[in-house]
Amino acid sequence: MTLPAFTMFALLLFCMGLYAVLARRNLIAILIGIELMLNAASVNFMAFNYFVAPDPAVGQIIVLFIIGLAAAEVAIALSIILAVYRQRRAIDIEQLTEVKG
Amino acid sequence: MITAGLLMAVTFAAALLAVTLRNVLHAIFGLAVALLGIAGIFITLGSPFVAAMEVLVYVGGISVAMVFAVMLSTVVARQDEGGRRRVWAGLAALGFFAAMALVITRADFGPDSDPSEQAWAVAEIGGDLLTHYNVVFEALSLVLLIAIVGAVAISRREAAASGSARLEPGAIDPDGTGKSDVESEQRGQDA
Repeated sequence: MTLPAFTMFALLLFCMGLYAVLARRNLIAILIGIELMLNAASVNFMAFNYFVAPDPAVGQIIVLFIIGLAAAEVAIALSIILAVYRQRRAIDIEQLTEVKG
Repeated sequence: MITAGLLMAVTFAAALLAVTLRNVLHAIFGLAVALLGIAGIFITLGSPFVAAMEVLVYVGGISVAMVFAVMLSTVVARQDEGGRRRVWAGLAALGFFAAMALVITRADFGPDSDPSEQAWAVAEIGGDLLTHYNVVFEALSLVLLIAIVGAVAISRREAAASGSARLEPGAIDPDGTGKSDVESEQRGQDA
């Protein structure tokens, strides 16, 4: 396994996340796509860290920060999704069009 | 490095399930398997510590929180997407993939360097976190605190609003307290 192999794998993961964000209508499914994209970035950081970085601890620390930020993001997103669900009885983005211009 | 290829295949299949399955609960299970595979890939990249954090936070925390969210909003567990929407999203993803693949295949990543075992030690990560990256570390802890407080505040305000809407001023309050209704409803919604 070389660096381009890991990079292509991360690109595949990112594109699947992008597809989920664009195609799905359920807010939680969109959140799954965002998580996949964040993990693709993490894989890239770890691969570059392993193969080319002069100081290999830096990439790991960045990945730890990504994990922490993802946890905070999911906590907020899920509470917003539940609040939307209580208000509207739906988390389908096709039905959430109040602020549409 | 056959293990890495195997882990990549498993992760790819699980992620494909996560983005295509109609039932959101099944999609979350696919995501959990994909995250476990990514943790394995982190181990093959020489960092068991980050892999452990990935399993703890993502598989143990985020996936379970998502399952709870699905259970609290069961109406939308199954959902059909429009065919047109899927096609456009697939085209966009494929286009991005093609462009980035072109960049990656043409890029010169330079010579691979040998990672030293010393630099991978957990002690090194901990030392860096508390010296060079101290400010970022503290900022991240602040972000987490704000996220927790914000999540609680969003949930509480919604519960209080729906409770006070039901208990109108001037309405007959059987308990005479006016507060127990709100609290009991809030408990019911949180449970």
